[in-house]
Amino acid sequence: MIEPLLSLCLAGPNRNFAAGDELVCEYQIDAVEPADIQAVELSVLWYTEGKGEEDMGVHFFERRLPADAEDGDLRPMRRLRSKLPNSPLSYRGAIVSVFWCVRLRLFLRRGREFVVEEPFTLGSVPAVLPAIAEPS
Amino acid sequence: MARLFRFVEKKRGGRRTGSNLVGNFGEALFFGSLFLVGMLALSVLLASHLLAPDPASFTIGFGKWLFLLLMASFVLLGGGGMIWTVLRIGVSAERRSALATRAVDLDLMQEAVPRPRNYPAIPPFDGLVNSPGIDLAYRLPPAQTPGWQLLAMTIFGLLWTGVVCFFTVWTISNALAGRPEWLLTALLVPFWAVCYWAIREFLQLLVVNSGTGSTTVEISDLPLAPGHEYQVAIAQHGQLTMKSLELWLVCEEEATFTQGTDIRSEVREVWRQLCFERRDFRIEAGVPFQEQCAIAVPPTAMHSFYSPHNAVRWKLVARGEADGWPAFERGFPLVVYPGEATQQVEVAGHVARAALTPPHVPLPAAGVRA
Repeated sequence: MIEPLLSLCLAGPNRNFAAGDELVCEYQIDAVEPADIQAVELSVLWYTEGKGEEDMGVHFFERRLPADAEDGDLRPMRRLRSKLPNSPLSYRGAIVSVFWCVRLRLFLRRGREFVVEEPFTLGSVPAVLPAIAEPS
Repeated sequence: MARLFRFVEKKRGGRRTGSNLVGNFGEALFFGSLFLVGMLALSVLLASHLLAPDPASFTIGFGKWLFLLLMASFVLLGGGGMIWTVLRIGVSAERRSALATRAVDLDLMQEAVPRPRNYPAIPPFDGLVNSPGIDLAYRLPPAQTPGWQLLAMTIFGLLWTGVVCFFTVWTISNALAGRPEWLLTALLVPFWAVCYWAIREFLQLLVVNSGTGSTTVEISDLPLAPGHEYQVAIAQHGQLTMKSLELWLVCEEEATFTQGTDIRSEVREVWRQLCFERRDFRIEAGVPFQEQCAIAVPPTAMHSFYSPHNAVRWKLVARGEADGWPAFERGFPLVVYPGEATQQVEVAGHVARAALTPPHVPLPAAGVRA
């Protein structure tokens, strides 16, 4: 079976945002029948990386079901806006790092899921120390 | 093809690197099997008891009671796990997190001390501003209450010493009866070493907490903003001849992770600056030593950050050494909000370069943290 095509992009060339900036993103789904789509979730979130267990915090979340879309089709391009918060700022520390991204998750019938992410940075905290290498 | 053989995958918090569907199936299979085994065994046990009652087999001890309890726990764990798995099927980590965030937002509406809105993942500072200072606005609470540390060490010391004493008496009595337990005797040596360490730590804590007097730290404002200057007042009580008293502004990262069945935390200090230092002076009884100094968090510093398994913490650390006493170190937590410079998209070149060379001065380890 062909995997569905998920397109996710941030509007404009900018991947660095200041606190309080408006983030605009667009997504589109292709190569899948509308009837096969169960739900689509778009989140603007931060997550941690490093030595500790990974934590995440969702700043913006939207879940759409076929009933929410015109003709029940969730595939057409959709544009979303979200005002970014003041924290946590992107950070690359010694054992704790904080990253931001926009994540699109597609749920298909029979429990299959597909995810794409678009990273961006919030604020400009300098990386004072190199990041810890991931254990292989 | 290689993917099929990735039985053990790196756990990344609430997320998996593998297929959610396979993970959910595996969990359901495990909990379902546990539930089924428990139910079958319980049914057999109860049916056999109803058909042929044997009260003797249900006496307290290693009898059927133990088996009954074990199987009941299988049923509870299996059933609970199964319900938990079913509830999570089709619910993404983002959706769960979004629901949790909404619940936290509702809590924030009822908080006692109002704090700035739209600053998620920054720890609350309610506990830091509820004690007014004498010279400055707030008296900071100590990061670790010495009483709890002392209590924990007392309980550990008592329990450990009790167990070691019991086994020592057992070994001696066996030896006297002509049945020497050589393996147990050998094992008792490291046990007694731990016992010695526990008693030594307990006595040191007791001496430091009762003898060196308390340290209090007050601050002019909270929460802190990077690039701004704040006044700090430090006071050291007790009758002491001090070799040194220092106050450091420290930033450290803390990561909590699971290693096997243990939950471990690692703390890494990433920035440290000396704010105040005084050497060779005497503190008289009833007249505490008092001094004020200014502190400033660097403009490009990372703000305080808190999530369930990760944190960036700021604190003031008072470090003292007195004649005839072990060195002590006392921490006072702070909360730092994001600075104006770092909330923008770009930091000016010279500011960023300055941040790359933090004034981090390694220190010899203090004898006792109190």
